[in-house]
Amino acid sequence: MLRTSDSSAGQQDNGIIAVDPIRPGDRRRGSLSDTGYAWLLVAPALVIIFFFALYPLGYAIALSMRHVDLTSAVGIGPYVGLDNYRWALHDKQFWVSAGRTGLFAVVVVSMEMSLGIWIAFLLNGVRWFKGLFRSFLLLPLAASPAAVGLIWRNMYHADFGVFNSLMAGLHLPEQNWLGDQRLALPSVMLFDIWQWTPFVAVIVLAGLQSLPREPFEAAELDGASSFMVLRRLTFPMLAPVLTLVFVLRSIDAIRLYDPILMLTQGGPGTVTETLTFYLYRVGMKFFRLDQASTMALLFLYVTIVFCLMVMRRLMRQMAQRAERR
Amino acid sequence: MATLEGKRPVSVSEVLRYALLTTLMVFFLFPIYWMIATSFKAPEDILTRPPKWLFTPVLSNYVYAFKEANFALFIRNTLLVSVVSTMLVVGLGALASYSFARYNVGKGHLMFFILTTRMMPAIAVIIPYFLIFRTLGSTTLGRALALGLDRPGALIVAYTMFNLPFAIWLMHSFFQDIPRELEDTARLDGYTRFKVLRKVVLPLAAPAIAVTAIFCLLFSWNEFLFAYLLTREAAKTITVGVAGFWTQRGILWGPLAAAATICVVPMLVFALILQRHIARGLTFGAVKG
Repeated sequence: MLRTSDSSAGQQDNGIIAVDPIRPGDRRRGSLSDTGYAWLLVAPALVIIFFFALYPLGYAIALSMRHVDLTSAVGIGPYVGLDNYRWALHDKQFWVSAGRTGLFAVVVVSMEMSLGIWIAFLLNGVRWFKGLFRSFLLLPLAASPAAVGLIWRNMYHADFGVFNSLMAGLHLPEQNWLGDQRLALPSVMLFDIWQWTPFVAVIVLAGLQSLPREPFEAAELDGASSFMVLRRLTFPMLAPVLTLVFVLRSIDAIRLYDPILMLTQGGPGTVTETLTFYLYRVGMKFFRLDQASTMALLFLYVTIVFCLMVMRRLMRQMAQRAERR
Repeated sequence: MATLEGKRPVSVSEVLRYALLTTLMVFFLFPIYWMIATSFKAPEDILTRPPKWLFTPVLSNYVYAFKEANFALFIRNTLLVSVVSTMLVVGLGALASYSFARYNVGKGHLMFFILTTRMMPAIAVIIPYFLIFRTLGSTTLGRALALGLDRPGALIVAYTMFNLPFAIWLMHSFFQDIPRELEDTARLDGYTRFKVLRKVVLPLAAPAIAVTAIFCLLFSWNEFLFAYLLTREAAKTITVGVAGFWTQRGILWGPLAAAATICVVPMLVFALILQRHIARGLTFGAVKG
């Protein structure tokens, strides 16, 4: 990509592009306008997205307004207006699992961000094996959460697991990692932190390596303290990358599903049941598709609002960067 | 960051730094090591107290996975589904993304709408998907395209749908980076718009397309929930096959570890080979590398 921008800069010097650019709506040869052409390019993707996203979404909205109980004679029953929404908002388990999802997301995302940034800084300053360490970091994120999740289940095994073997080696009390009411959720969190901290580290490292040198050299000449450099230069310049990682990780953390299924199946009791898992239980085990759809829509709504808020900042930052270039 | 890295003597802080990094790497790599080690353990070496570190490696778990669970078929299905959906996503995604980047179709609202489709919890759409594919599977066209339940076509469409938004977003900034002047010059040379796209834009966007393809392949290969709910046996994928060793009678740890290794190791190798592209792709082009 660098090469292309260099060559364009070279062309500008030669004055080649001093000719009239093609304006939107300028018709040459073909009869299709630029707008038509643009829509033609988007069309195939849009058809798929509209059909396979909007139809299911509409279907879910319809279900959320009916009485649907596949275990009884009701089947797909009559329209009941907003009854299901009223039910969801009064359902204790809905709020408990939503709160747990929030807690889970806040803990893992903040841990992954701080650990990941810390590792990236550690790694950025080393002289040897930087490439090797970075390669190692890519491995957890390329592994299927469903498959590795089951391996972690083995490692957490109360009697034969490596975690308890380590505890015994350190003369600490052994734990029932996934079976203990207090430990189960932190254990799932640890798995998520294992899988996604490297993701943050790799991205932030790429960000650090691409920072321009000049401002830092200037700051050094001015005798700025390293804390000031971090606060005034490094972090502001990394902001777009950090925002992006934050959004990606947050969306995935609140949608977490596979690891819960593989590690605890929501148990013991319901102490590790996140919202998506509760949804799944209501829809697929109790066959209350109406209530499951309702909760899914509420969930989607909150996610979109959250993303709109965070993304607006990110988009503005990206636009500013584009203008500066 | 900007210090010159010459022949400094090794300092205490540097030793500490390496010690820390090594500890961290052990933590990040251990589960993968444990998976591979367990896959080569004989049944009596697996659930032991304390866990066995030294053992005589055996291949019986792999034999079991291929004989009892038809892993050859699962691998074929996974390959078919992830490769075809990746090609569809990259093809359709590149066209759409270019159009958004160059012509600003929908003024950003359409782009954001496309991103929101990615935020839907899979579980919310799985029931409509189930019904769509059950209906499509009974039509002649649907049968011809293998679109029914427990058919690879259904998974291909589902993964295409779920990866398209990501692909469009990922490629967007790359397309924006291609200087418009290049396209204008090509147009003045008499190229049609389509020829400009084919001969100028797409070759320049090749790195972005490669990154997108890597990620789509990773996502499709590792996906579990859709594969679990939309297939029974004929179109089952590897991740579902792995979970299949969690049986009514308990977890068959040896074959499960072998299956997990079959599932995970190809993607690890793939990630290592293409790591430069991944580091760049992960940043969505927000960082110029």
